[in-house]
Amino acid sequence: MGYKTDWFKGIFPALVTPFTADDKVDEAGYRALIRYVLPHVNGVVPCGTTGEFSYLTLEERKQVTQICLDEVAGRVPVVVGTGCKSTRETLKLTEWAKDAGASGALVVAPYFLKPTFNEVYDHFRAVDQVGLPIVLYNIPQCAGTHFRWWTGEAMSLDFDNVIGIKDSSGDLPFMEAMFEKVKGKVAIFVGHDEVVQAALGAGADGAILASANVIPDVWQRVYQATLEGDLETAQYWQQRVQKLVRIIVRCGSTQAVKEGLRMMGLPIGDSRHPVMPGGAFRREDRDELRLQLELPDIDKIKKATVTYDLGHRQVETEVCATPQTPRTISGFTMKVGEGFAGPPFHELAHVDLLLGLKNGPVGRAMERAMAERGEKRGLKIINERPRTLLVPTVTVRTAKQRRLFYEHAAQGVNLAIRLSVEDGFLPEAILDDVVLIVNAFVHPAASIAKRVDFNNYKATRYAIRKALEGRPVVEELINEKAAARHPFRYAP
Amino acid sequence: MPIKVPWLKGVFPALVTPFVRKTEDVDEEAYRTLIRYALPNVDGLVTSGTTGEFPYLTREEQRRLVEIGVEEAGGKPVVAGCGASSTQEALTLARDAKDAGASAALIVTPYFLHPSDKGVYQHFYDIATAVDLPIILYNIPQVMDSYLPRTVVEDLADLPNVIGLKDSSGDLTYTMELLEYAGDRIDIFVGHDEVVLPALAGGVSGFILASAQVYPEVWQEVIRLAGEGQLEEARALQRSVQKLSRIFCRYGGGVAVKAALKLMGLDMGPPRKPLKAVGGALIHETRAEIRLELEKLGKIQVEEPDFEYPSAPLASRFGDLEITPEHIAAHALHTGTGTAGEGLNKVQIDLIAGGKDTVLGDTYALQLTYPLHRREALTAILEPGLTVRPSTLLLPTLPQKNLRQANMIYGPTQAALAQAIVDALEEGRVPDAAVDAYVMIALATLHPRALDRHALFHSVRAAAADALAQAFSQ
Repeated sequence: MGYKTDWFKGIFPALVTPFTADDKVDEAGYRALIRYVLPHVNGVVPCGTTGEFSYLTLEERKQVTQICLDEVAGRVPVVVGTGCKSTRETLKLTEWAKDAGASGALVVAPYFLKPTFNEVYDHFRAVDQVGLPIVLYNIPQCAGTHFRWWTGEAMSLDFDNVIGIKDSSGDLPFMEAMFEKVKGKVAIFVGHDEVVQAALGAGADGAILASANVIPDVWQRVYQATLEGDLETAQYWQQRVQKLVRIIVRCGSTQAVKEGLRMMGLPIGDSRHPVMPGGAFRREDRDELRLQLELPDIDKIKKATVTYDLGHRQVETEVCATPQTPRTISGFTMKVGEGFAGPPFHELAHVDLLLGLKNGPVGRAMERAMAERGEKRGLKIINERPRTLLVPTVTVRTAKQRRLFYEHAAQGVNLAIRLSVEDGFLPEAILDDVVLIVNAFVHPAASIAKRVDFNNYKATRYAIRKALEGRPVVEELINEKAAARHPFRYAP
Repeated sequence: MPIKVPWLKGVFPALVTPFVRKTEDVDEEAYRTLIRYALPNVDGLVTSGTTGEFPYLTREEQRRLVEIGVEEAGGKPVVAGCGASSTQEALTLARDAKDAGASAALIVTPYFLHPSDKGVYQHFYDIATAVDLPIILYNIPQVMDSYLPRTVVEDLADLPNVIGLKDSSGDLTYTMELLEYAGDRIDIFVGHDEVVLPALAGGVSGFILASAQVYPEVWQEVIRLAGEGQLEEARALQRSVQKLSRIFCRYGGGVAVKAALKLMGLDMGPPRKPLKAVGGALIHETRAEIRLELEKLGKIQVEEPDFEYPSAPLASRFGDLEITPEHIAAHALHTGTGTAGEGLNKVQIDLIAGGKDTVLGDTYALQLTYPLHRREALTAILEPGLTVRPSTLLLPTLPQKNLRQANMIYGPTQAALAQAIVDALEEGRVPDAAVDAYVMIALATLHPRALDRHALFHSVRAAAADALAQAFSQ
């Protein structure tokens, strides 16, 4: 007995569902997304977990599926997420998908009330009767139930229409057990972006991925290299996007993908509530995701010319610009930026950054502070172009704190400045006109030097961009005011 | 009444083990001092428990602690912690404990390698049948990563010298299950300070508590009140130590207990490494919180500070920032003030706003660079990553004397000021042009003994709203 179908293999993005500002399904945005991914993929999955199926009405799930089928127009298989909590609803939607012309259905384990495995088995037995090819979907992080190999094996072999299993658990021992039991009989897909290459290398038939909305081309390279037996190339690309996909998988998935696409110029709205910007996908994650998307061989955020109006003259610079990046930036009297990066708790970095003209308030404050206080009182010039003053938020007392602050935090801040000069946000032509004051927080109990260094690098790099781009904007503040969670507002 | 031995009831402190700084040797004198402090209000002692850092103690040290305990206990029972990973080692410790005069051995679920239920049963069975000393079983899943299975306890309770069980889980569903299946044969003790009263109501016999060496008299009173059916009073008393109990249970264990004792003048030295006296599980901010709670309990003296809310004309309140009434007039700076709250929660906010290219821009940059002593400026944020616009600094009017005062500023005050500013943006009070072109500085005057973060948040938000309204109505 071989595979039950020959088309279920390769890279399938779990498409996000775009929403308009008034929270309707955004058809134009969805079509644009499909057109973006289509050249690189072997199939698509509408209404999966990343497609926020659990926040869509039944009518919307049908609408989204129909747009997808129409836009794809038979060029690649369309596997539709039709899983619902109850068997009754799941059957109805799967029958509808069959009539609508879907290639198959991705059916999640029934969730919330946690059925026992004999109940799960009977659920899938009923779905199998519909006659549409079925992909079993294991995602214990959300569904709360984790298939055991014996249920996966039984459902794969007992049910004629089960053509594959998607495992998003990232649990490779489970996947290996599935290879042992059913390899070559049903397709085994990996759904955890952090272990794609490992799974494909071990024998997985394909991948259904949230990050394939953003980097379908990279995953296709990993897949092709694996098919050709070129493990080195496959490993290279997995490692190249490891941080990017870790952010997506662990930090808010749908919102992360949507903000990534938005920074790339594919505006598709935010996730539906209760998922919200700055929630699981924290602001520091967005800034880091952006840096990862800018990597030269990932190249998802294109360069644009931005004019810096210094008042007395103008400077042009090339930066990787998001739609939020102003194309003309003025107000160099004083710009304020903040950056935050962690974990771990004791080594987190919080930077208040001032960027301004040498002959303005920032330059004057720097020179006065150095003249009246200077290095004896904890201030230190750590860079000359641009002239940069490092100020401790918390008084430095012990030798260990001194080392962590003036060596490691300083090293991180300087790296951020150097890379900001290289990436164009601090263009060479302004380095003699502006100065930086970096007020940095290092917790008195910090120990791990490498994290102090790296977190201060990240916080400073984000702060420089936020200062120049004028983020956060007032709209963001108003939207998130009520839900903001200040970490030190509460008693232990 | 206790079931197998007459003494197994009431309140037992899980004593910390004092160490000498640098050498980390056991400080026997400090141990005696601690026992003398707690003894009048306790029914017995527990040596080398989890709070006593037992995994870091040698066999000889554990035996010595029992000997000192027996010498100092004046006839009250001493329960010796005899926890070990292997059955053989636990048995050795239990034999030592008996020789040293202990009344019982407290034996934790075998840890690190996770034995099966059969292995767990055999561990306790071997010890109980090999040593002639009463045994108290010990469930503490927080550090063991597993529960002592109820079915195993049900069977162990049949052994004649298994006399009790200490449940530190704080999981009352588990405690109730134990009472249901073994409560007729062994005494159930609770070792989780946060649930003393509920556990008492559920029917447990007593408590082994970290906090029973800090405030044993409170627990005795809770037991007395509950016994007399005065539940309202018992609840109020439990709540009066709820936060401190939570800190001991969740934010530092023995390390936090040592910090509390030190603040009370009972120096038990540092914990053994790799634990840190502060900066590990117990962070500096939490230690500040412990001081506050001990002040509330009357365990340490409160300083009565001398201070006033600023009452000079508004334009003269920014002199420390080198901004004079003349500057305010010349640069058309906006000022506003607001007051809200009562008593300790009264807050005054004095606010100044103006262009980055005015004297206020220089002040703003200077305060982030060259701050006033003990009045370091903070940026107003809704949360990290959400700095408000116009960019705003928050400064305490009064120099901050301790971390607790600082906690009130950079927690609730910072968040509330940011909320008030964004409220003003939403209501359209702040001119659009000001968002980029202005900066603001808010001076916050809080009572030096303010401590109710929730009330402070609302006071600051209200006071800042008034200050903003006044500043931008000009």
